Amino acid sequence: MDFLDAVRANLLSPAVLFFALGIVAALVKSDLKFPEPLYVTLTIYLLVAIGFKGGVAISQAGLGVVWLPALAAIALGVLIPIWSYSILRFAGRLRAVDAAAIAAHYGSVSAVTFIAGTNFLRQINQPYESYTSAFLAVMESPAIIVGILLGRVSLGERGAIWGQATRLALREAVFGRSVLLLVGSLIIGGLCGERGMASVEGFFVTPFQGVLGLFLLEMGMVAARRLEDLKKVGLFLLLFGIGAPIIHGGLGAVAGKLTGLSLGGTTLMAVLAASASYIAAPAAMRLSLPEASPTLYLTSALAITFPFNIAVGIPTFFALARWLHAMP
Amino acid sequence: MNTHPMKLVTIVCEALARQPLTQLLAETGAHGYTLFTVEGSGTQGRRTAEMEEFANIQVEVIVQPAVAEQLLVRLEREFFPRYAMVAYESDVRVLRREKF
Repeated sequence: MDFLDAVRANLLSPAVLFFALGIVAALVKSDLKFPEPLYVTLTIYLLVAIGFKGGVAISQAGLGVVWLPALAAIALGVLIPIWSYSILRFAGRLRAVDAAAIAAHYGSVSAVTFIAGTNFLRQINQPYESYTSAFLAVMESPAIIVGILLGRVSLGERGAIWGQATRLALREAVFGRSVLLLVGSLIIGGLCGERGMASVEGFFVTPFQGVLGLFLLEMGMVAARRLEDLKKVGLFLLLFGIGAPIIHGGLGAVAGKLTGLSLGGTTLMAVLAASASYIAAPAAMRLSLPEASPTLYLTSALAITFPFNIAVGIPTFFALARWLHAMP
Repeated sequence: MNTHPMKLVTIVCEALARQPLTQLLAETGAHGYTLFTVEGSGTQGRRTAEMEEFANIQVEVIVQPAVAEQLLVRLEREFFPRYAMVAYESDVRVLRREKF
């Protein structure tokens, strides 16, 4: 299958088509609207389902094969915000606190982008290591912590680095709903193993694609409603929102290949590195760096990088991973 | 019926300011509050409330006049520069003054 086939398979999957429908719904100002509790419910379902599945996969594969790529994932989470900060600050001339907040978003990960990546691999019948969702869990917090530290230092609040706002944000980064649900379900899945999977399969596996479709319909609307803010973020951030995932995805693919992941797993590692958080990171930034502009980080993560990854990024990273794996 | 004058302070702000705001209420000596999710539009754009990042909350708290003043001063100084927010006070009359 060549690259264009991969792009077509991705664009014609139910999940991406529902995402497009959501964008259309917002652009034509349809009265369609998901109530907030439904949004939260769908998020919980997706995180628990993906975490549980990952936990079962770890119980089968054993921690021995998981730790090395997991370590690489954490390293990416720590390093991405550091160079992103420098680029945003010195090439983009953004305020230091904005650069730090945006850097945290790009180092952290988006679970839905990851799930869309697994969905794409399933569409093209490419096997992958289900335990990659463990990497999703460990990549969420480190970047947020690095971003907060960068922001605090840049505000000249060295003394207040461990102030109360930071402690609250760290709590949010480590015990916030997404990390808690993911890590919790990973552990539950790991303890239950195959037998546990058999008992919940009907609820967490079979309807998964449909739930993802519904959720992406909603995300299409959320992302498109941010489009009017594109004018406010400026050309540099627009380019960063597309350039950063390409570069980070490339690094993720290399890290995946070097740590021994399969073609599917390498693709997912690239997707994780390329994705930008829009759930855990905004909440943590609003608590710890309220001086940073939410318009900048939410618009770039949600209206630029997220749609880019869903539509074009994922098949691109697959092509890149395949190229890496074809090398001797 | 025996009613007493009190101040009702109403705060409408972004949902992500919830934690620092409820903490401020505790610090200034409010004995309780009511909080609900709202949507609307203002100078900082439309708040569509489809997810927490784009939602607003409204917090209503009844306090003694001195507390209301202290609360509004601290809101203006510490919160207005950082969060999307409006706050106002109004006169109300309550039963059971000791509850506030």
